[in-house]
Amino acid sequence: MESATSAVAETTARPEAMRIGVTTAVFAAAGVLLAVGLLAAFWWAPTDASAMGFSQKILYFHAPIAWCGLLSFGVAFVAGILYLRRQDAKYDLLGVAAVRLGLLFSGLVMATGMIWGKAAWGVFWAWEPRLTTFLIACLLYAGYFVLRSTVEEESRRATYAALFAIIAFVDVPITFFATRLLPEGLHPVVIRPTGTGMVAADAVALFVSMAGMTLLLVGMLRVELGIETLREELHYLKNRLGR
Amino acid sequence: MARDGTPAPAPHAGGEPGAGAATGDGPEILVEGISKVFGRRDVLRDVSFTVERGGFLALFGPNGAGKTTTLRIVATLLSPSSGAVRVAGHDLKDDPMPVRRAIGFISHNPLLYRDLTAEENLRFYADMYGVTDDGRRIRDLLERVELSHRRFDVVRTFSKGMLQRLAIARALLHRPRVLLLDEPHSGLDPHAVDILDGLLDEIRSEHTFIMVTHSLRKGLELADQVMILDGGRIVFRQTGQVAEDAFAAVYREHVHEGALV
Amino acid sequence: MSLGMRQYRAMVRKDIIAELRTKEMVVSMFLFVVLAMIVFHYAFTVRGSVRLSLLTGGMLWVVFVFGALLGLNRSFVHEKDEGCLDGLLLCPVDRVTIFLAKTTANLVFLAIIQLLAVPVFLLFFSTSDVVSNLPGLLAVVVVADIGITTLGTLLATISMNTRSRDLLLPIIFLPLIIPLLIAAASGTAKVFNGDAGLSSLLGVLTFLVVYDAVFLVLAYGTYDFAIGE
Repeated sequence: MESATSAVAETTARPEAMRIGVTTAVFAAAGVLLAVGLLAAFWWAPTDASAMGFSQKILYFHAPIAWCGLLSFGVAFVAGILYLRRQDAKYDLLGVAAVRLGLLFSGLVMATGMIWGKAAWGVFWAWEPRLTTFLIACLLYAGYFVLRSTVEEESRRATYAALFAIIAFVDVPITFFATRLLPEGLHPVVIRPTGTGMVAADAVALFVSMAGMTLLLVGMLRVELGIETLREELHYLKNRLGR
Repeated sequence: MARDGTPAPAPHAGGEPGAGAATGDGPEILVEGISKVFGRRDVLRDVSFTVERGGFLALFGPNGAGKTTTLRIVATLLSPSSGAVRVAGHDLKDDPMPVRRAIGFISHNPLLYRDLTAEENLRFYADMYGVTDDGRRIRDLLERVELSHRRFDVVRTFSKGMLQRLAIARALLHRPRVLLLDEPHSGLDPHAVDILDGLLDEIRSEHTFIMVTHSLRKGLELADQVMILDGGRIVFRQTGQVAEDAFAAVYREHVHEGALV
Repeated sequence: MSLGMRQYRAMVRKDIIAELRTKEMVVSMFLFVVLAMIVFHYAFTVRGSVRLSLLTGGMLWVVFVFGALLGLNRSFVHEKDEGCLDGLLLCPVDRVTIFLAKTTANLVFLAIIQLLAVPVFLLFFSTSDVVSNLPGLLAVVVVADIGITTLGTLLATISMNTRSRDLLLPIIFLPLIIPLLIAAASGTAKVFNGDAGLSSLLGVLTFLVVYDAVFLVLAYGTYDFAIGE
């Protein structure tokens, strides 16, 4: 019993990510950037001349969220590689946090995408490359959690999760290109290779929003990682005391 | 020995076991400070021992003590969380392939494909190990384990005893220097036990052994080194012959059933 | 013959002999494929303007992918059910060789099913003259099969070690195979709709080859982790 209580004592120090300080600063910066970006989007950027009208403003949410979703999955990919090389459990926890947030953001992409679709073109759903890719990504990464739930032994679970995060991330661009093999749908291509097809003010607002959203993701990742770490500890202690 | 606080080993007759076989390269099996952690469970803690060439180590201990884990680590089926293992002069982590060639493994699972015949099973393993004279070797081994008459029968039709005999043939096919046995007698009928013991006697001097067993008698009969594992640690280790009743007392003394984790 | 080649052939031979002896897997796969096609016929029977030939390319690949899943789930069935995985891992064999052998065996089984199923398919759905573009169809099928078995074997290695083996594989396999399915279905649809020539299939074939290459490299790099311990 004594060893268990001392174990409790040594593990209740808060994870680094949850201490006031760096994380708050990150969130504050994110908040400022997002506020500026969205203000710019709604007040200064001209309303879109085409039929989409005001609903085009959703882009300033939709695109940054999509970018962050992909970024989060990318973090999971890197975390997977690092886990396989170094066998350090913290990379596994980072992977879980990153996939969870990636799923959250992907869900939001689909939601904003569907709202935009209905407002601009009258349909909730269209089988076009970006939306479809995110849909598939949602299902794919949901499988990540199903996979984790079927393996009981911790290091094997972490190994398989890492492998899956790597395979899944490689598949996302492949899926995107595959969906483009079939004829293109209604989704407007916003950023073309020859420069953004938008007015200068729009571009600034968009990139500021992107930066803000990215910082938001970083902050959320830190918090999520902290939560995951604590959850792990809790699980472990429950098991030990339960014996 | 001081590491696990056990009494100093009793003096034993003769020099190192397997006298005359020492090649001067060091022990055949060298296990140094291995631990194994599954998640957060410490299954093995700082286990070290050596087995000289031609030696026979019997490994005892209660269930969950880590005996099978230790054996699987030496067999390259598991990698230790820390520590090092050398078998036949090769390090397991750097050089697992020569180690695998040098090891034969017999457990209560015969590792045979039920839908293949005895011959096909042995041919498969002969191919996997790169055995050059496979035709003759298979024939000889089948004779030795008294299964020549069932050579072309599908293994699904074999009894447990016959499966184990074929498994012995499988394990010896590639002429391994080291044999690792995990409770090989469990579940066998007396005839199969006899054949197994007879074979072990025959090949005793040509090989190095580690045997995990619950049978005190069998273990002590064959071994020249005994070890007890409990809770992932070595709690007793001694070289030389040990009498059965003396050992039973030692076992009761050192093993605490139902210990706290 | 090098040791690696000898081991590879031994493993492929073992899987094929074991399967031929019981025929459990190929019979089930074949029955499934034929039954699925019958179901499709009734599900898609419409009178009027819909040209069935527009759908048949996709139908064929849905049937193949789900049939392949049945086989992939059984990739390691002998090793798992009979506890022989240790036997395989004890051998001085490169883990990647094991992967290649298993993939090859799965490929052989899938090919057998397809050889039997395609004539039946053509019988049921009598699409336009396929023979004129047989090389095109064959090319698509071969390259797609390689992708299915490569990715499938890799994932089956992972799923066989989990608690819900058979249930997990479709969940992790299907999302990942969608790009291949899109390409193969669109290529096959072109063939069935009378698009002559290999050149019209170039885009599809290139995509499939890239897909196969990517996952082969990925499997090569990660297989030790998938099968070990």
